[in-house]
Amino acid sequence: MPAIAVHNACFTYPGEDKPALDGVSLSIATGSCFGLLGPNGAGKSTLLSLLTGILMPQQGEILINGKPLTNTRTLHNTISLVPQDYAFYPTLTASENLNCFAGLYGLHGAHKKERIDFAVQVCGLNELLDKRAAACSGGVRRRLNLALGLLNRPEILFLDEPTVGIDAQSRHFILESIQRLQKEGMTIIYTSHYMEEIQSICDTLAIIDHGKMLLQDTLANVLARAADMPIPPAQQNAKRLEDFYLSLTHHALRD
Amino acid sequence: MIALLATIKKELLLLLRDVHGLALLFLMPVAFIVIMSLALQNQFAKNTDNSNTIAVLLDNHSNNDTAASVITLLQQRKMFNWQNTDSTSAAETIRQDKAAFLLTLKESNGELHADILVAPATNPQIEAIFTATVGEAISKQRIEALLRSIKMKQTLDSNFSLDSGIDEEALNSNPVTVSYSYQKNKTASVQPSSVQQSVPAWLVFAMFFSVVPLANTLISERQQGTLRRLRTLPISPSLPIIGKLIPYFLINQIQVLLMLLVGVYLMPVFGAESLTLGNSIAALALMSVALSIAALGYGILIAVVARTTDQAATLGGVGNILLAALGGVMVPRFVMPETMQHIAGFSPMAWGMDGFLDVFLRNGNVIDVLPEAGLLFALGAIAITLALVLSRRKI
Repeated sequence: MPAIAVHNACFTYPGEDKPALDGVSLSIATGSCFGLLGPNGAGKSTLLSLLTGILMPQQGEILINGKPLTNTRTLHNTISLVPQDYAFYPTLTASENLNCFAGLYGLHGAHKKERIDFAVQVCGLNELLDKRAAACSGGVRRRLNLALGLLNRPEILFLDEPTVGIDAQSRHFILESIQRLQKEGMTIIYTSHYMEEIQSICDTLAIIDHGKMLLQDTLANVLARAADMPIPPAQQNAKRLEDFYLSLTHHALRD
Repeated sequence: MIALLATIKKELLLLLRDVHGLALLFLMPVAFIVIMSLALQNQFAKNTDNSNTIAVLLDNHSNNDTAASVITLLQQRKMFNWQNTDSTSAAETIRQDKAAFLLTLKESNGELHADILVAPATNPQIEAIFTATVGEAISKQRIEALLRSIKMKQTLDSNFSLDSGIDEEALNSNPVTVSYSYQKNKTASVQPSSVQQSVPAWLVFAMFFSVVPLANTLISERQQGTLRRLRTLPISPSLPIIGKLIPYFLINQIQVLLMLLVGVYLMPVFGAESLTLGNSIAALALMSVALSIAALGYGILIAVVARTTDQAATLGGVGNILLAALGGVMVPRFVMPETMQHIAGFSPMAWGMDGFLDVFLRNGNVIDVLPEAGLLFALGAIAITLALVLSRRKI
């Protein structure tokens, strides 16, 4: 049984003529890391909003762990969304943000402490808990954003461009953390504009544009199809350059 | 419940770290109360019998010595300016606020009795002082008359029973009757002092200004994507709104307490009179709750409708100033022309002020403030419901 199955989902925003999603279907296996690619305005965020219950499809059906997405309360105990924005309170410290969101998940007592400790450890926030979020670097804020999404230890984690605007060290740390979470059995849905990120952590991927699903396949199959395409030398060197840079500057976080 | 408590704690932390918001909610109204009370003190004193000489019309219908002695005693009180009258239009003079009291002395069953007619603008504290002064003067004369009577009877007959010569009923009866030249508790014509005007005015204004920090936090949450994230949490869609209203309700109650303390304790330090709170704490509490619900309803509706903090500041800030100008916060309603006074009745700030003035000025109770409190509750309930409905569409 797939973790997520979408059948012919359609959604048009009020006042808009063109549908944001037009008959999208996809299937995401449990425990996989699924990359969702598409240019700006392609429909990625709308699809994530549908999959997380923020919006309801006007047509079609969405199944989460085989159950129709109708009871969002139940859904919200098994999923988590890490938005692209820094979706927390900048004037609160990292610790206060974690406590606030843990409370919103209904956590309390030892259970709450255990969940916060887990999120802090996964995201490497130990030394930064008493620092106000607004005073933290972009990398720390990205990690705090991720930590807040781990408080309910979700079965399915949606990551909307979680590495935008941060340095290579933080990016590398976040990608490693995501891979660890996947190995522990978490299903990851990952959107990004960075192809090398998708290539390094995802096992399946889909490409969406103009609200339509253009492709859904395993990474290996997509790469095989892409192998025949001519690649400019500059792009061939891009991944190599990042590896070289990280070998020189090391992977350790700087925050 | 845990989620609600987490939201409330978060809101309070956010507000504690918002220095500008705190200044707006607490320092601004205190400054306004102090400045406006002092600035308008003399102007209000002209309208409210707080000056050292308070005009009293005296109409004496008694020819006995006791009345003359009472008048002599009363005239020793320098704070009252006595004018004899026997005019049939004296009551009308009082109704027109040309003097604070009409004191009518008359005999009833051989005992002197005083009727006091109170003018609409007369301060309740002054009324209490005057009533006590007249009562004391008459009682003093009665006791002196009694002592003279005892002495005389003891001299004439040492076996004479004391009880037989003393009219206890007359001695115990209240020698003073107070009546009003206006419908007490219901008139808008009772004029407050500068402190009585300024405290409720700027308190109401400050409570409505909670729109600014309230809107700022909600709009920031929307712009930062936090509301979107909250929609994926296992909480009621109304919780982000309800979780804001509860802490701001508490803030409003602290504002009320602070402003009343300023009126009662701080203003006398600056030489102004102390705020009189009236007799009904329950009525005061009811007005405080009702006004808070209306102010928060207005604030949360603006927060939901506005797209940016700039829009909220314009809609909320300018809207507040207009409601304040209209509702008698900036210009007291009693100095407005009659038409403007009627128009002012449409401002919720006027409802709030009227309710507080009913309590402070006219010793109003819960029943007296129910009309104003009811209007405020209704406005708040409608606005909050509308905000909850709209908020689900705007995330």
